Amino acid sequence: MVHNKQIINILSLLFILSVIFTACKQPVEKPLPIYGEREVINGDTIFHTIANFQFVNQDSVFVTNDTFKGKIYIADFFFTSCRTICPIMKTQMLRVYDSLKNDADVLILSHTIDPEHDTVALLHDFAERLGVSSSKWHFVTGVQDSIYKIAQTSYFATAMEDGSEPDGFIHSGAFLLIDKQQRIRGNYDGTVEESVNKLIRDVRKLQREYASQEK
Amino acid sequence: MSENCSVNMPHRKNKSLLTYLMLGLAGIYSVAGTTGCSSPNNNSTEDRSTKFQQYYIQGEKLYSSHCSNCHQKNGQGLGRVYPPIDSSDYMMENVEEVICLIKHGKEGELLVNGKQYNQRMPGVPSLTPLEIAEISTYIYNTWSNDHGLIEVKQVELILQDCFTTKKE
Repeated sequence: MVHNKQIINILSLLFILSVIFTACKQPVEKPLPIYGEREVINGDTIFHTIANFQFVNQDSVFVTNDTFKGKIYIADFFFTSCRTICPIMKTQMLRVYDSLKNDADVLILSHTIDPEHDTVALLHDFAERLGVSSSKWHFVTGVQDSIYKIAQTSYFATAMEDGSEPDGFIHSGAFLLIDKQQRIRGNYDGTVEESVNKLIRDVRKLQREYASQEK
Repeated sequence: MSENCSVNMPHRKNKSLLTYLMLGLAGIYSVAGTTGCSSPNNNSTEDRSTKFQQYYIQGEKLYSSHCSNCHQKNGQGLGRVYPPIDSSDYMMENVEEVICLIKHGKEGELLVNGKQYNQRMPGVPSLTPLEIAEISTYIYNTWSNDHGLIEVKQVELILQDCFTTKKE
């Protein structure tokens, strides 16, 4: 009987300890959502990822998925002659750039949706005038259809020509947060300061997620 | 304790009197604000007429819908892409040209405060002379700018000459 009582005591102590332990572990962050369709193949979940791409940046250097290998990046769509939402988006993205300037694992990818006008030389000039480094913030151009397609099917962002719009294009003001596995982890309104603040917080969250995986 | 209280009482009364006085003053100020003294950044005293205030208030609205995307709400511009219009030497020296470019746009190189800019600015041809006078009055008198009222008659005259100066 005494023996049994001891076992019960030990078990209840263990139970209490485990309750305390899990309670202490409570503040573990909820990971960011993973956007898009998913399939389960042989017990493995396959998430939506960014399709293969090849564009040219402001330094005439090819930019592909490999450029972003092992990096977190933020993508958007714009054009330099746009006077509606793009200047606001660029003001906000510059804020993102400034706050993540020293984070080697974070890059920015801005696609022009007006490749005819936004040549490499023009994008180079634009980036230089913003005062940003091409190793951190890529301004890319390419085949117009490829840009529109990747916007729609990979980033779920709208980008297309539309003569009825003031500048001839419609496009979303979204900033997309892409993780190191090229999965979409967040969608923010690049014209709203508060939404962009959340993006910056979420990049930090994602960095913590990777840091905890490395442990 | 009770002594303490009685000592404190008149003090409180004074405080509340002061609060009422301050509230009253604030009230007067806010009423004045709605009737037209709401441009705190404007230092010029002679132009605080009703007309100036009407221009300024309308101009602020028009500025935020037509101009502030690029030049920003604070008039600081963006990098060397969009030039600042707060404390801009170009703007102060070229009032007529600025009035024309609001309507007709401008392209090519532009030197502002010693920095070179080169981003095409699309004009807004649909703006009326009055609206341009309002925008101009606002941008020339807000932030640290203090130029004074820009009248619609003045704008009408300048607009007539836009193309002749362009051709030269």
